[in-house]
Amino acid sequence: MISIEHIYKYYNNLCVLKDITFTVNKAEVVVLIGPSGSGKTTLLRCINGLVIPQKGNIIIDGNLLTKKTVNNLRKKIGMVFQEFNLFPHLTVLENIILAQVVVKKVNKKIAKQISIDMLTKVGLKEKLDSYPNQLSGGQKQRVAIARALALAPEVMLFDEPTSALDPEMTNEVLGVMKTLVKEGMTMVVASHEMDFVREVSSKIIFLENGEIIEEGSPKEIFSFPVHRRTKEFLCNYIKK
Amino acid sequence: MENRIIDIIIKEILLFYKIIKFLIPSIPITIQITLYSFLLAVILGLIIALFRISYVKIFQIISKIYVDVLRGIPLLVQIFFIYFGLGKILKLEQFTAGVIAISICYSAYISEIFRAGILAIPKGQYDASKSLGMNKYQTMRYVILPQAIRIIIPPISNEFIACLKDSSLVSIIGMRELTRAGREFYSQYFVDFEIWFIVGMFYLIMTAIAAKFARYIEKKLEIP
Repeated sequence: MISIEHIYKYYNNLCVLKDITFTVNKAEVVVLIGPSGSGKTTLLRCINGLVIPQKGNIIIDGNLLTKKTVNNLRKKIGMVFQEFNLFPHLTVLENIILAQVVVKKVNKKIAKQISIDMLTKVGLKEKLDSYPNQLSGGQKQRVAIARALALAPEVMLFDEPTSALDPEMTNEVLGVMKTLVKEGMTMVVASHEMDFVREVSSKIIFLENGEIIEEGSPKEIFSFPVHRRTKEFLCNYIKK
Repeated sequence: MENRIIDIIIKEILLFYKIIKFLIPSIPITIQITLYSFLLAVILGLIIALFRISYVKIFQIISKIYVDVLRGIPLLVQIFFIYFGLGKILKLEQFTAGVIAISICYSAYISEIFRAGILAIPKGQYDASKSLGMNKYQTMRYVILPQAIRIIIPPISNEFIACLKDSSLVSIIGMRELTRAGREFYSQYFVDFEIWFIVGMFYLIMTAIAAKFARYIEKKLEIP
């Protein structure tokens, strides 16, 4: 589905991604963990073409991601951001309809129906006429998920979707994500929610300083981490 | 004594009536000059602002020079230059020359307002639009500009009011708008206090209406 081959990303002389290689198969949930500044966000942004790496290839569904193909390939990829990034001047419904009509040229009536279906799925059908500023953080993030899903992506990227939320709201967002996992959505997630990670992931990648330190199944990473840094990192979370 | 006061009051009222009647036909011209100039200035200003924030170096340079030059020369001089200088060659009428001069001058200011408004939109809005597959045009049209407009309405309405007042400058090239009509009345009847008082009032009324309208639009576009 997605294969990342030896990508490097520099900002000026700072190397933020170093020789990253991994694959994501269909219906897999790959989770990126690691301390802040380890490159999780940059890596996710690379997969969506928001950041173009200096070296290496990203292949999505057999297509090489380049400046020319990026707009087409993005249609297969939905992205959810830490800061939600809803459009504040549009209602919840309009937020979800916009890209369907503008990008996918879906008929407005059909787009509206799809939007309502997606809002029902994330449990916010009654909020369709609200504006983003009238919603709580958890509700905003669920709308953002619905907005991405409405374009029927094959892969969903989640960039620390619950980091800006309090614990109660975190659970409502994780709940929606678990539903997606059950439906067999292919996902790449950056997260610090270790219980969630342990429960849903098919593969965990531990990143530090832009490098993959260790990768493996949840069992391997949580129960038998090999690398010293992985152990230290996870220790901090388990103490919490 | 009382009779004399009443006499003066009646005379004043008649004079005011005469002045107002004399000035009224010139008001639509002032309004026309202002509206045409401002509409053009907004369109030009937006284009210049988009040039400035584009990634094409040559567009950035053009826009920077445009703004710096036009901001640095008095509007009155620009009017003279366009009417007497270019106008001679291009055979421009007073009205056209006036509108061109004002709109070009104001587009420089307005482009800076647009630029500030566009830059005020958080980067996350661009990220979200891109991630949804929107191209640059769609992002500007549906996401960035609608939000920027709301930010720039107060400073833009300020510019509109300034533009309305500056339309009086085209009286100098013989356009018979409100200020020019005032001068003509003065040179016929030599009443200075009353005429300039009423001309001032007319401008005040128009700017007050414009301000009120701007506030209405601002309220209407407010995001809940």
